[in-house]
Amino acid sequence: MQPLANVTRLQPASRAGSIQIKNVGQVFKTSTQSVEALSDVSLDVKPGKFVVLVGPSGCGKSTLLMMLAGLRKQTSGTILINGAPIVAPDPDRIGVVFQEPSLFPWLTAEENVEFPLTLRGVDKAERRRKAQEALLLVGLDGFAKRHPHELSGGMKQRVSIARGLVQDPPVLLMDEPFAALDEQTRMTMGDELLRIWAATGKTVVFVTHSLTEAVYLADEVVVMSARPGRIVDHLTVTLPRPRTYEMLSGDAFGAMRDRIWRHIRKSA
Amino acid sequence: MIGSLGLKLARFAVVLSVFALWEVLSRTGMVNPRLLPSASDTIAMLGQLLQRASVRSDLAVTASEVAVAFVLAVPCGALIGFAIAENRYFAEVAKPLLFFAFSIPKSIFLPMFILVFGVGFSQKVGFAFFSTIFIVIMSTTVAVDSVKTEYLTVARSYGATTAQTAFRVYLPSMLPVLLETVRISMIFNLTGVLLAEMYASRDGIGHQIATWGENFQMEQLLAGVLMIAIIAMTFNELVRWVETRCSHWRT
Repeated sequence: MQPLANVTRLQPASRAGSIQIKNVGQVFKTSTQSVEALSDVSLDVKPGKFVVLVGPSGCGKSTLLMMLAGLRKQTSGTILINGAPIVAPDPDRIGVVFQEPSLFPWLTAEENVEFPLTLRGVDKAERRRKAQEALLLVGLDGFAKRHPHELSGGMKQRVSIARGLVQDPPVLLMDEPFAALDEQTRMTMGDELLRIWAATGKTVVFVTHSLTEAVYLADEVVVMSARPGRIVDHLTVTLPRPRTYEMLSGDAFGAMRDRIWRHIRKSA
Repeated sequence: MIGSLGLKLARFAVVLSVFALWEVLSRTGMVNPRLLPSASDTIAMLGQLLQRASVRSDLAVTASEVAVAFVLAVPCGALIGFAIAENRYFAEVAKPLLFFAFSIPKSIFLPMFILVFGVGFSQKVGFAFFSTIFIVIMSTTVAVDSVKTEYLTVARSYGATTAQTAFRVYLPSMLPVLLETVRISMIFNLTGVLLAEMYASRDGIGHQIATWGENFQMEQLLAGVLMIAIIAMTFNELVRWVETRCSHWRT
């Protein structure tokens, strides 16, 4: 594993967004009962931060992310991104990377990256140019004309990240993006993501099951408890950047991972 | 792996030997040539038939019936199938009923179509429409179900309008299944028209073939069968060709 010594900012942090989550709650109602999925969640994310949400299954971390994406409405509370509430998907402010690569198999890598721009009627030359840039950023510039079935799992997720970044949104939301990848690819993708993040300076909210991944990637780790989902801990990762593979075996790393694990074990 | 050229040659050899066997059986008198005219005579007859104005006009009648029934049945079936697939309540109610309806042989309804429409163009189109629409409805619901929710979530998260979702997600995603539907529904459609023509008609190639059969004109009958087979296979292969071009990503 190469240490990321050569991380440079390719471009100034053009646009990074702030996120305010205030007293957000979510209640799912079925015909017989109502289940409280999220309870009084409040969180402030400063522009340019890499925040990771962890918690046991069913803690509502993905639900919270879907609310940030405007794909789901909260029952109570408000969510502001750059000071304005999120009521519907807003690709201007938010890019989303999903767990399943969810690329359209009938489009090439390039066309998949262009998709958000196509929806907005951006002309073809401009689309191509931006897609090329985004693919270059994720290290896939040679694969523009490939279809998803010709790409490996890691490459598909790179395309997915490029698609999330192509409109230069201030916030990038990632819902367990590497969950389906094998361990080695997952480590590499983590490093790649940190490089991309450093290059673009986006605010990233990242959901994962993996405690190691959480500590390795994050500026701040937000730990949630199981139903009703609430924030039980919010820790700042003090490890310097760039993060390296050697840190994984360090005491500081282990201490943080243990602290998160204790919360999760308690609530699971 | 066997080379694709080798496979093609093998297939060609099978077809060729069927025709050769046919020729030999008839020529040697192992099968009465009056019952089974030789392959070469049948093919020659096919050439002659295609020259005849009456046969050509029969073909034209059949083609127009097939075309009209097809143009009505496929979009109607697709719309109904789409409505069923997109509405959960509808789907729950209608899907098993469609399976029931589909299992009934359509041909037993033919007499009713004659009673309602008389003998003519609308009877053929009506019956072919009826024969075709169920398979179109069912295949369309399958096509809609083949659209993954993840695709729709992606489209929504990037702010797609309803029209954009329809044309940029549903349509390309469904296209391979829809083309398959077109192909299979044409088989049902053609069968419907020919059956209706053979049962009661004054014109059309199905009627002509039935007449040849009744008059024991075996050469004409077999030539007619060959003709229909070639037409049907050509259409089928044409759609399959489009299918493979449009669904290269489906692996």
